[in-house]
Amino acid sequence: MSFSFTKANLERIEVLKNRYPSTQALSLPCLWMAQYQEGYITLDAIDVISETIDVPAMEIYRVATFYTMFHLEATQKKRVLVCKTLSCKLCGSEGILEHLKGHDVLVEHVECLGSCGTAPVMQIDDVNYENLTPEKVDTILEALR
Amino acid sequence: MREALIVSRKFSLEESHTLAVAQEHGAYKTLKKLQNLSPLEVIKIIKESGLRGKGGGGAPAGNKWALMPQESEKPSFLAVNCDESEPGTFKDRQIITKDPHLLIEGILLTCYAIKAIHAYVYIRGEYYQYQQVLQVAVDEANAAGLLGDVKITLHRGAGAYICGEKSALLESMEGKRGHPRLKPKQPEPEWYFGNPTLVNNVETIASVPFILEHGAEAYRSYGTERSPGTLLFAMSGHVERPGVYEAEFGVPMMEYINHFGGGVKNGKKLKAVIPGGASTGVLTAKEAEEVLLDYESLRAMGVSLGTGGMIVMDEETSMVAVLKNLLEFYHEESCGQCTPCREGTGWVDKLVGKILDGRGSSADIDELLEIAETMNGKTICVFAPAVSAVIVSFLTRFRDEFEAAL
Amino acid sequence: MMVQVIVDGKNYEAEEGSLLIDLLIKEQIKVPYFCYHEALGADGNCRMCMVEIAGQKRPQIACDTLVKPDMEVSSKSEKIEKVHTDILELELINHPVDCPTCDQAGECSLQDFYMDYGLHESKVRIEEKVKHDKHVDLGANVMLDQERCVLCARCTRFTDKITHTHELGIIGRGDEAKVSTMPGRKLHNPYAMNLVDICPVGALTSKDFRFKQRVWFLETANSVCHGCAKGCNIYIDHHKIKYEDDMIYRFRPRRNDAVNGFFICDAGRLSYKLLQNNRQTMIRHKDEIISEEKSIALYQSLLKQYKNSITVVIDANLYNEEIEALVDYAQRIGAEVCAPLECYDDTEFADTMLKSAKRAANYEKVVKMGLDRTMPKTSGLIINFNHTETFYAEMQIDFSTHQRPNASFILPIAAYSEQSGSLTNEDGLVQMCEKAVHKNSPSPTLREWLQKVGL
Ligand SMILES: Cc1cc2nc3c(=O)[nH]c(=O)nc-3n(C[C@H](O)[C@H](O)[C@H](O)COP(=O)(O)O)c2cc1C
Ligand code: SF4
Ligand code: SF4
Ligand code: FES
Ligand code: FES
Repeated sequence: MSFSFTKANLERIEVLKNRYPSTQALSLPCLWMAQYQEGYITLDAIDVISETIDVPAMEIYRVATFYTMFHLEATQKKRVLVCKTLSCKLCGSEGILEHLKGHDVLVEHVECLGSCGTAPVMQIDDVNYENLTPEKVDTILEALR
Repeated sequence: MREALIVSRKFSLEESHTLAVAQEHGAYKTLKKLQNLSPLEVIKIIKESGLRGKGGGGAPAGNKWALMPQESEKPSFLAVNCDESEPGTFKDRQIITKDPHLLIEGILLTCYAIKAIHAYVYIRGEYYQYQQVLQVAVDEANAAGLLGDVKITLHRGAGAYICGEKSALLESMEGKRGHPRLKPKQPEPEWYFGNPTLVNNVETIASVPFILEHGAEAYRSYGTERSPGTLLFAMSGHVERPGVYEAEFGVPMMEYINHFGGGVKNGKKLKAVIPGGASTGVLTAKEAEEVLLDYESLRAMGVSLGTGGMIVMDEETSMVAVLKNLLEFYHEESCGQCTPCREGTGWVDKLVGKILDGRGSSADIDELLEIAETMNGKTICVFAPAVSAVIVSFLTRFRDEFEAAL
Repeated sequence: MMVQVIVDGKNYEAEEGSLLIDLLIKEQIKVPYFCYHEALGADGNCRMCMVEIAGQKRPQIACDTLVKPDMEVSSKSEKIEKVHTDILELELINHPVDCPTCDQAGECSLQDFYMDYGLHESKVRIEEKVKHDKHVDLGANVMLDQERCVLCARCTRFTDKITHTHELGIIGRGDEAKVSTMPGRKLHNPYAMNLVDICPVGALTSKDFRFKQRVWFLETANSVCHGCAKGCNIYIDHHKIKYEDDMIYRFRPRRNDAVNGFFICDAGRLSYKLLQNNRQTMIRHKDEIISEEKSIALYQSLLKQYKNSITVVIDANLYNEEIEALVDYAQRIGAEVCAPLECYDDTEFADTMLKSAKRAANYEKVVKMGLDRTMPKTSGLIINFNHTETFYAEMQIDFSTHQRPNASFILPIAAYSEQSGSLTNEDGLVQMCEKAVHKNSPSPTLREWLQKVGL
């Protein structure tokens, strides 16, 4: 199984190449595109990115392992990012985490999501769900099924 | 408390993020003023306004702008810092979703002053939904021909607190790991692929249009002598109405919390306040009663103003658990480059965990303070010193709670 | 411009704007450091090389401090020693401190430093330390122990900046960060074993050397690698275990900025095995072992028999002094001389870093002396001095360090490691090699043989 960027992404990459002083700047954008395409980042994708932007594969791999939002492993489950940092904790994130154990989702404990004023919060597919209560969690996950 | 709306003036408008509404309320008017102002004159006005960076450090913005070369063979860049990952901070997010055109206007003014051809907005990866609002606004402004020769590119991060540190941000924008760079030996611009670059926080840039529209004096009419203007202060934690509310510098902390936030949640008593994001230390309720919200007053208390994102804690909060929570954050977020920080953050997290579990001894407290000392002033960036200050701040103010947990 | 600098109260001279740490290293002023390496430059990550500089509030890292005129530096004050101790202590927090079973013991900066600073035990119990893999085979004979690694990034900078092969990287973040190759991939560059020398601790070790010998038993001699005409400077590390013979355990690069810098290639590094194995130790004629006396008589009768039809063949790996002596000898006995070189040309071996296409250590000497570089033409008697090629003649005498399967008359000689001499490298530089190995029953050197057969 080998990786290739979709036509639309290849076009985006060409556009981006003109917006940075060096193609090396494209490693994060390319990793994002690869991740949206496949659900996670494969070694094949890393090799393709390496060739596309002329950066050693190891450098891309190092980068991919530095940022917590890049996943190098596949999962069938829905990823649910729950903030466990202070404001959310003060507002009951522990209860939300406990409640999520009853759902068949992949829970990731993450650091502050910038929703401290609307805590507790979880993020699914790039969307923040705020002012959570256990009931609200059930409704949201039900709707996303 | 008097109203002081400089950045959040349009926040409450319906559809405030659209170009139509923004322009109806005066957006982009200042661009015309540039015809009669040279770049250096703009920088002079910013210097006179006393505008201070709102990303946490509070550095005078004008001085930083003045470091940018007016004549340069290399292209100059602006990098707008929207990494906003400091726990307790959620203000830049309001700007890019509620008044993105204010930021764009600020970017255009700034680029004019520092002769930058391209502005990048580095947005934390978790803010993708908000990034899209800003992207629509950029596209709208571009389509309306407002951007002129300036390009604006939004650059998405991917989950790393340290990328908010300016040199790490540029490393990340260069496509690398977010490792802070060694400090330069004398004041100089930042460098993006070897090109001179200015890094400013979203709110700093969003304050620029007001200053150019109304003048430096108008900005200085808010705030204090040394902390002029306003800040999007914010509250979270145990408070009735958490949120972001703009206020001028120098207002009493408790007055702010009571006025905007409706006081401590559920009528409980206040125990402590973290004044401006996790890394700024902690104040006791008594100190919170006394302190004013400006850089100097907080510094005098041995804490800092940071981003102005206050975290309020009621009487039932365990300070040991709070410190443990914060240290977990730092343990998770250290970039791992330098030894004292990489090893120190993990170790202090374990030590406080031990105390929290009731397995601690007084030697552990001493060791915590010792490691805090090693983490202070010996690392590449100020992440580790900030962690050190947090530990010291908690242990000096709430030592009895830690000792009771042994 | 050279300027005055004061370190610990003493005056030194240094280039203005040069790195302070270079001065400290050069003057052997001991400050602990891991990440700085003269070939790799400063990275500033270990934070160990802290010094106090008059006028600066905070301690500064010497590897990122530029020398200024009249700078006053303190590397030993109580305050700075405490800084060193404290940082070192943090470094040890997740380190296994398993020196007794570590191959690097004796050449480990971490061990040196913590002995210097009197730290003996880490405060963290083993079971609480961050666990990593202790036996990662990186390929190319290099083993990685991730727990011993201090994340100085020397190794990754080596594959990035020196070999440009980018196999290694630090992955992950915070205290979960570790050195690794990409999943399923290995080191694949011909200089990989330099990583073992570059690693300041025992995290990268040589599979070839692992556990064979404790380093403090080894004796060392300065020599030059015989793998090609580049003439990379090496240390020959050898040791004689009681009742056994003196053995070479490894070659290591010896710094020479005019030739090889800090490094040597892996082929050269491992060439000690070829040097040591399959040695010729006896004098043989046909299938018989004969005495030295008998061999000299036989040699002389052959010389008489083939008078006017003799060629002396010289191997281009012999020392300058040996080659000169042989040319002289050939003239005396009226023999032709040749030193066939073609078989040493190997363009596949060559690269732009160190490896030369001329795979004989003294190639340049042969060229310089204007010797005949073709194969021998006489079909009478060939006296071969250690050339490995096969020749065709009625009779052949081989003076040889190594066994030659079909030799009819073979006399053992000492290898280069068993005597001193000089070599001329491809850039014309003459370099000395010391005698390293003292065999229990040494073979005569080539020059000794020439005396024996009657000069
Ligand atoms: C660990 C760390 C994290 C930081 N995070 C942010 C951030 O998220 N946003 C920000 O604007 N500044 C952040 N900063 C401050 C930046 O380094 C920089 O000073 C700032 O962006 C400059 O802009 P300003 O002068 O307009 O505040 C951080 C600094 C450190 C040391
Ligand atoms: S202090 Fe911490 S975050 Fe800053 S560079 Fe060092 S390891 Fe990274
Ligand atoms: S393996 Fe050795 S050289 Fe590489 S980072 Fe670790 S300690 Fe440094
Ligand atoms: S603490 Fe949870 S979003 Fe900020
Ligand atoms: S040698 Fe200076 S910081 Fe590592």
